[in-house]
Amino acid sequence: MRDLCASAVEAALAAGASYADARALVRRNQTVATKNGRVEAVRDVESEGIGVRVLAGGAWGFASDRRLTQAGAAEAAQRAVAFARAAPGSHERRLAEIPPAKGTYRTPLERDPFAVPLDEKVEHCLRAEGALAHPDVKVAQAFVQAQREHKVLVSSDGADVEQELVECGAGIDALAVADGLSQLRSYPSAHSGWSAQAGWEYVESLGLEREAPRVAEQAAALLRADPCPAGRTTVVLDAEQMHLQLHESVGHPIELDRIYGMEAAYAGTSFLSAGDLGSLRYGSEHMNVTADSTMAGGLGTFAFDDEGVPAGRQPIVEAGLLRGFLTSRETAARLGAGVGGSMRADSWSRMPLVRMTNLNLEPGEGTLEDVIGEVDDGLYMETNRSWSIDDKRLNFQFGTQIAWEIKRGRLGRMLRDATYTGITPQFWGSMDAVAGLEAWVVSGLTNCGKGQPGQSAHVSHGAAPARFRDVQVGVRA
Amino acid sequence: MIDALETAERAVAAAEADEAEAVVLVERSGFARFAASEVHQPTLVEDASVSLRVVRDGKVGIAATNDVGDDGLKRLARRAAESADSAPAEESFPGLADPAPLPESGGYDEELAVLGPDDQARLAAAAIDASPFPAYGYLTSGVTRVAVASSRGVRAEQELTDATAVVLAAGEAVSGWAGRTSWSAAGLDPAAVAREAGETAARTRGARGLEPGRYAAVLERYAVAELLLYFSLDSFNGLGLLEERSYFSGRLDERVFDPRISIADDALDPAGLPKAFDFEGVPKRRVEFVESGVVRGVVWDRETAARAGDGQVSTGHAPPPLEREWGPQASALAIAGGEAESVEELAALVGDGVFVTRLHYLGIVDPREGVLTGMTRDGTFRIRNGRLAEPLVNLRFTVSVPDLLREVPGLTREPVVVNASDFYGARYPFGILAPALATASFNVTGTGSAPGI
Repeated sequence: MRDLCASAVEAALAAGASYADARALVRRNQTVATKNGRVEAVRDVESEGIGVRVLAGGAWGFASDRRLTQAGAAEAAQRAVAFARAAPGSHERRLAEIPPAKGTYRTPLERDPFAVPLDEKVEHCLRAEGALAHPDVKVAQAFVQAQREHKVLVSSDGADVEQELVECGAGIDALAVADGLSQLRSYPSAHSGWSAQAGWEYVESLGLEREAPRVAEQAAALLRADPCPAGRTTVVLDAEQMHLQLHESVGHPIELDRIYGMEAAYAGTSFLSAGDLGSLRYGSEHMNVTADSTMAGGLGTFAFDDEGVPAGRQPIVEAGLLRGFLTSRETAARLGAGVGGSMRADSWSRMPLVRMTNLNLEPGEGTLEDVIGEVDDGLYMETNRSWSIDDKRLNFQFGTQIAWEIKRGRLGRMLRDATYTGITPQFWGSMDAVAGLEAWVVSGLTNCGKGQPGQSAHVSHGAAPARFRDVQVGVRA
Repeated sequence: MIDALETAERAVAAAEADEAEAVVLVERSGFARFAASEVHQPTLVEDASVSLRVVRDGKVGIAATNDVGDDGLKRLARRAAESADSAPAEESFPGLADPAPLPESGGYDEELAVLGPDDQARLAAAAIDASPFPAYGYLTSGVTRVAVASSRGVRAEQELTDATAVVLAAGEAVSGWAGRTSWSAAGLDPAAVAREAGETAARTRGARGLEPGRYAAVLERYAVAELLLYFSLDSFNGLGLLEERSYFSGRLDERVFDPRISIADDALDPAGLPKAFDFEGVPKRRVEFVESGVVRGVVWDRETAARAGDGQVSTGHAPPPLEREWGPQASALAIAGGEAESVEELAALVGDGVFVTRLHYLGIVDPREGVLTGMTRDGTFRIRNGRLAEPLVNLRFTVSVPDLLREVPGLTREPVVVNASDFYGARYPFGILAPALATASFNVTGTGSAPGI
């Protein structure tokens, strides 16, 4: 693959590109899913190809081809240059200078998930799903997934990088139905479970079978729970919902391509402007956010991003103050700060975009019980169910699968259909506690959408439960 | 481009199985995405993927690849066999589809098929040049070949073309949005799209807030299409009905919507993005979801129809092989038009309310009750005295779609196809035939940012 990439870069330069990079990629995905005691899906998917990105006449061009052959590489390079030259208007795109990226990287793991026999994966799902059995549970399902991505990047700036990223994950869902109500309860999340860059040991560590009886009981109990009341109150969010909160209201707004309007027509822009760096108060003094593409196990972990910028750890928010953006070489050059490091493409057939890597809310102090213990009257919400946020990432409304009243520092009755809404900086400004490291957990999600044509990124978040004051809850249709 | 049916037949021949079915998608597409009137994400794709479903001793497995050479297909067959062998036998598996005559359908236009990168750049330039404000959006066109072949004798193939132009015309405190999609080059007019977006944008300066509450509203076809798409995911889906996630659960043959509301799935309507068969090679059939306000049915694939029993058969709505667990999907929604000649007429019917051009980031709050939340954007206005009045900031809404459709004073006469693909993964064009509509109840639950970049 390295030779093909080098050929593609040479072909692009020969066709008149001033810059070129080529990514060759071979990916394999495996999914096993069971539902109500039967196998719903056993599938094994491979995809391979090469994508060539060029600057020609100051404009971007990108073309891809499924063929990992000299012809495929050369033709993609020539088409990319032609497309760049056809771009209307005049262009002058600059890239931040970086030293030539050289190296290899492979996800550290104990047991290769592709070495685990498929029938063992089927059995793992059936056991977990069997433990969801409950008279009120109409649909019980379990799934495991694995992905291996072998990719090579070569650029005209001297990048020569080979990486193999391996990830796997799993989850369970119980849908309880009775009397015209349906309630879904999931573990560890409602959105394709959790994944990590790790081996099969990660799937086993999730303990699906262990957690299943609780999940089923809660799904059934939700059918008889009262709906979440409407009003303003104190809210404590569990770590999983904090991951979603962080993702939507911090991760996306700090993408510098959005700030510069590049996503305006689709995913939207940001309430932030480039000039806010170092001066905008994002949240309370308890808010410390870090982007870390070196974090062990993260889905956004690598040695080099898809532009050949080395991985790193950078502050995004420090004590509530905005300190950093997620950038590309192009947007960093435009900002005049940094060199990029967040460019990722979801396949060989897509251009890299500025994407989250691993975005974490740094831990505070104490346990979840400590955070709840200081609430006289409020709600504890767990596991994301619905999510929506506006095009500038200001007005959000999120729902969770389950909630409990908090009365005098203790959990009370269970509530269903819990929602809360807010405006991003005010909401983060109302955060007055984050639990400590012992309650801090990392999750990986695989469905972060952006770009046109669309791309799904795999990203991770770390967070502990946190408390927010004076939050609007119980939004109704 | 490679021959999709020949590739599917080779994959079936390579299968080591009692039965086998191959689905092939071949794509050649170009995407000129622009921001601030400059192309910044140009993407050309050449791909071909094969999904092979095999049945061995009653066990079913699926594998996929885009290595379509003979060696690649041999490896594919081996991996599919391994997948099947790892699973217990599926007693409820209804077997592969039998061959059936396919209906005539349009969906292919040679003039559109030959558009190349230069044309895509030129058409993007036409949109950019016609926009009175900086333009954000894209121009894309592509050719998709779909084929299904099986050991039971299914031989189905179709070549599809599609093109979409989208423009967000936006500047400081102004933004307007428009889009057009078509399977023929004649239906493509990027400059007109840009003008429509620009005209909307020009009216959005000085947007004001709005108190939360229930308002009558006029929803442009873009907003109608997106609401119905999200509602359809659980409610028009046979699996959703079986699992009681659908709003239609327990409501079949009940009148739940305004008598003006009729909704179908009609993949054969040439006004949409037509297709002749689904991903099992089963012919597409028109399915009525709602007739004059009365709930009539949902879409089925072979597996869910078999599970449902009571005489249900596939309606030709099997999803792609790698998305089977989502159940059958409506992919050619068609909402019947009404009597109004224009959105201005609808505003007159509403009298006092809000006008919504486009929605953003919908979330499903409660699938069983059809409750969605989202934001309006790029053209939200107050309606006063039956006319569009001052612009509004983006509104947070939380609505039950059935409530929204319960009292509908009017719809525009001609539904227009609205693109419904975000172009994730392999290209497979689909759109929604939607009119604009007026509703008596649109629940505004908050406000967000003002229009503009």
